[in-house]
Order: sequence, then structure tokens, then C-alpha cells
Amino acid sequence: MNKLTIELTINGEKREVETATSTRLLDLLRDDLHLTGTKEGCGKGECGACTVIMNGELIASCLVLAPQADGAVITTIEGIGGGENLDPIQEAFIETGAVQCGFCTPGMILAAKKLLEENAYPSEEEIKRGISGNLCRCTGYQKIFDAIKLVANRLSKRDGGRGGKDA
Amino acid sequence: MHRRTVPCQYFAPQKIEEALEILSKYGKEIKIIAGGTDLLIQYYDRLYEVNGWLDLKNISEFKKIKINKNQMIIGAMVTHAQLEKSQDIKKYYPVLSQAAADIGSPQIRNRGTIGGNIVNASPAGDLLSPLMAYDAQFRLLSTQEEKIVPAEDFFLGPKKTILKPAQLLTQIILPLPSERTYGSWIKVGKRKALVIATITLVLVVKMTEDNKIVKDVRTCLGSVAPTPIEIKEIKKKMAGKNFDQLDFAELGQMVEDKISPIDDIRGTREYRKDVAKEIMINALEEIGSARRLYK
Repeated sequence: MNKLTIELTINGEKREVETATSTRLLDLLRDDLHLTGTKEGCGKGECGACTVIMNGELIASCLVLAPQADGAVITTIEGIGGGENLDPIQEAFIETGAVQCGFCTPGMILAAKKLLEENAYPSEEEIKRGISGNLCRCTGYQKIFDAIKLVANRLSKRDGGRGGKDA
Repeated sequence: MHRRTVPCQYFAPQKIEEALEILSKYGKEIKIIAGGTDLLIQYYDRLYEVNGWLDLKNISEFKKIKINKNQMIIGAMVTHAQLEKSQDIKKYYPVLSQAAADIGSPQIRNRGTIGGNIVNASPAGDLLSPLMAYDAQFRLLSTQEEKIVPAEDFFLGPKKTILKPAQLLTQIILPLPSERTYGSWIKVGKRKALVIATITLVLVVKMTEDNKIVKDVRTCLGSVAPTPIEIKEIKKKMAGKNFDQLDFAELGQMVEDKISPIDDIRGTREYRKDVAKEIMINALEEIGSARRLYK
């Protein structure tokens, strides 16, 4: 019974995959489904490079067994924006120079997405806490904070709401 | 590199009874998995082998926080994020809520569970000293019997508990605290996120109706001994006294004197003892000012 079949909804698409009981969700995504936007950094849940959104929650896919994700709804970086159209968060990351080597970026974007979903006007402290599970080793964090603030301000203007707390 | 192809079975039952049956049949052969945030790190580091997994994710009863008469019942699969966000936990057990909020990162808090934190029994388990301080009891079930044990009797040493292979931790039971109960939570580590605590301290003080006299005290520390510990001498020293006449420095010194931590990569014995004294004083000051707000 080493092999088993699980069903997942990944980026809106239902997938049935045969997997092994001890395969990590991360390997299932990258090797079996070829969704290589999700990265492996530390493999211990500390760096956030393997972050995906599972059942509405930010998680580290290196710390989930594939069968634990049976029946789950998952969004990976490939499910953000659509084809040539970038998500406003992705645009903001590019504009502020929040991307250097790019390895942490998929996880950062997903963490930012989740943060802004729960809190449309995050303060600097709240931004720090929101991405505290994601490490960046190149740009430093300031440009990433700037990107998240920029997109929060834009979305609030678009929605006719008040500005961000640090605006 | 991390792929493991050891053949093993996978169970994800929907009912507690089924889980208990599986446990009684396979016992040690099988690993119970909750959030996996500790277990899977150890597994992929090849610290143990498994012949099967018992995944508790489908048992909906385990994911609930509910009040039953004068008790709070927390299911073993309640996540740190749930504890952090629950209004009931914030209201009755603010220290537990803060400790949960200080664990790991959003990613870890969304997966890691209270039951896993308890059963993993790390000397640095962040929820353990708050649970002890709030007089938590654990409900342990097997096909044979039900046992309810106080938190202080559960932990035997680093990663060692009284839990038997056929037993499952199903619930954490906390008495609802009296109105004049104050708490303080202090975690010291090298940085804020994703840190294993160098030392944690929980101080819970119950005051009399008039808010002047100390009725009961729990002073519990983590990362200073093989298990979370209570400094019972503090209780003896403080009970029955007027809070305003307490000697904070003396109480801090008592905590320092009563612990015997070890040197490790997170801090030396000397450092831990020094810090324990200071954070005890800070905790007393915090409770002092919270209390004044109620006068």
C-alpha cells in the first residue's frame, strides 16, 4: 500500500495523482505536476520558499505529506495572475525592485496575497508579521515591504477605501 | 533527495473510534500525525522509520474549541493559528493566545497543533508552560480506557511522556479562570519569528474579589529543564499577601535560584539564570499595571 491516489484542486483544476505515502506535497507539486514555481530552500519549514496556499491557509509544502493534502484546494504561484496578466502584487514587486534572484519571490507573493486578503491596510508591523515565515537573502526586506505597501495603497484607491496605515 | 520510498500504510479515519482501533492494532508500528511541523522534520532527517501513518485530519471533533459548563475543551488538532485567533481563548487564557501567536511563522501556526506540541514534549514547546499555568488536563483515550491527567504529570523528559502507544491525546481541558486572574507571557529568543525559545516564563496570578490579595499563583518556565516546570516556592511566598507589598526583586531571585538550566546552542546556564530573574520581575510589573487598570 505504498502507492495511493489522491485528488487535489490545484489552481482551480481538479487533478488525480498517484503518489507515495511518504512523498512531500512539495515534491508532488514540483516533480509530478511540474509546477516548479514552488521552490525548495531549507526543507524544514523555516525559509518559506515552498509556500503555497492550501485550503485558504498559508503553509510550507515541505512539511505536508502528499496524502495529508488529499481533497485539498491548493493555489501555487502558477495560479496567481493569469498567463500574460500579472497580479497587482507581482506588478508592484517588479516596480519596487523587490525581486533579485527570485528564489523567495513565489513564497513572498503568496504570503503577501494572503496578508492583503485578511488585512487590506496592513501597517509596517503587520506586513513584517505577515511575511515573517519567508526569508530573502538578496534584496533585503525593505523593497518587499515597499511593494506590499504600494499594492495595498493601489487596491485601496481602486476600492475607494482609506489609505494604508503607513500611507 | 528528500524522497522516501519506504513502504508504509496510510490511515485517515473520520471517527475517533476507528483511530483507536487502528492504534490498538498497530501500536508502535504506526506514527500519529497531526500538523507534522515537528514530526516531518524529524522524519526527513531520518531520525526514525515508520511502517504507517495515522493522520487525524478527518476527525472534525478534534478541531473544535468549546465551552462546557465551567471548562474550556480544546480538541487536539486545534492549530496555533486557531488558538491565536479564538476570542474565547483570548478572553480566558490570554497567555495561551500570546504563546500561540509567538510560535514559528504563519505557515507553521496554520499547520502545527496544540496536541502535537504537547505530545512532541520538547523542553522548548511554547504552549506547555502556559497549559501548566492554567491547570490544564489532558484526555487520553484508548480502546480500553479513558484517562484524564494533569499537565504536570504528563511530561517525563525531553520528548518523553506517559502516553502509551495505544493511547491518543484527544482533548485539552482547562478550567475557566475566576474573574480576577492576570497573566503574563515572556519568550526570549534570538529573533522574533521561527525561533526555538531560549527561555519562556508564564506567570498567572489569581487575586481576591477586592483585587488586593493574592489568592493563587502559577510560575511556569520552559527551556530551563527537561520538561516544563512550575516554581512552587513562588506560590507559597506570594499567596495571601497584598500584591502591592510584594518584593519583586526577591521573587525574581527565587526563580533564578530554583532553576538549573543547561548550556546549549541557544544560551548558557548563566545567561538563562540571569534572564529568568529579570523576566520574572518584568512579569510581576506587567501584572501589577494590568491590575491597577481594574481598580
